[in-house]
Amino acid sequence: MTSSRNSKPLAVLIWLVRLALGGIFLYAAWAKLRDPWMLFAMAIDAYKILPPWAVMVVARTLPWFELALGLVLVTGRLPKISSVAASALLAVFLGLMVRAYAQGQTIACGCFSTNEAISPLTLARDGSLLAGALFLVVMSFRPKKERVVSPADLSRLPDLEEAQRPFQS
Amino acid sequence: MKLPVYLLLATLPALAGAGEIDKAKAFGNPAAPLTIELFSDFQCPACRQLHLQELPMIMRDYVNTGKAYLVYKEFPLPMHPHSREAAALACASARVGKYEQVADVLFQTQPSWAESGKVYETVASVLTPAEQKKVQTLAKDPAILSEVEQDIQEGQRERVNQTPTMLIIRNGRKYPIGGSLNYDLLRRFFDDLISKQ
Repeated sequence: MTSSRNSKPLAVLIWLVRLALGGIFLYAAWAKLRDPWMLFAMAIDAYKILPPWAVMVVARTLPWFELALGLVLVTGRLPKISSVAASALLAVFLGLMVRAYAQGQTIACGCFSTNEAISPLTLARDGSLLAGALFLVVMSFRPKKERVVSPADLSRLPDLEEAQRPFQS
Repeated sequence: MKLPVYLLLATLPALAGAGEIDKAKAFGNPAAPLTIELFSDFQCPACRQLHLQELPMIMRDYVNTGKAYLVYKEFPLPMHPHSREAAALACASARVGKYEQVADVLFQTQPSWAESGKVYETVASVLTPAEQKKVQTLAKDPAILSEVEQDIQEGQRERVNQTPTMLIIRNGRKYPIGGSLNYDLLRRFFDDLISKQ
């Protein structure tokens, strides 16, 4: 009975994290795509890690990638790929932001709009999102035998005694 | 008939405070396709970099050519102890037509006065004795202090959360750009905006 009590809250939690993360990626994509892409290019360039040609490529493609990732997360498709992609992306974002903050750079984070400065708040927010994405990775890669099975799931299984009868005789 | 007139008069100060442009702190053609509102803090190192490096190029390529109208806005940050005093002195200097010169000297010598606290002495170095007297008095005038406060409030309304922040306005749309920036990309962005009707 314990297993049935745990399964539903866990499933709801996974659904909520997936929805929240997907929604945030969709919002981030929309915030970048509604403005001229050159604004986002300036935000990327401020980190001073990419050559000019790569800044242009990332500025033009990243919002579309975020849009696709947000859609996949919200719809619950490809859970393994989407959770790994979200974790990798957020880990890169967080790493770059921590580096810039530690170096004392006064730059916009480029997360949603172009005017949000990197601060402890933006770092904490990105860290929380990364924690959520890693939680989804762990949940999607769990071995099947460890999965929590509810009585409802068991009732849907074929009658095992009946199925095993020929082998018992 | 009197009541609507009184109501209108009562709302005038509030209307004047909303996005009011101080002509002495504005440069270029007011009818230019782009308006650049620059929210800056005299004690902020990134604002110093913008003022000394990118701003002269913006002035040369866009303001002096009639493509952009540049408006300075004060946004002294609480973390900088001498910012407000510098902003008040700069606004007071605008009344004697010396805003640009005062802004230049404040940014050029920022590391020095930020440490010593000698803000007035720095400002006075570019003013005549008569102007010094006037600016010193004006800097304590409630009207000047309120002018600085109005700029801060306007910045807060525009969600300015770092300095420098440039608010680029084109056909009523506002594009905020915060922090340090790359002039080549900024130029491409400006040209792109100007080319669009």
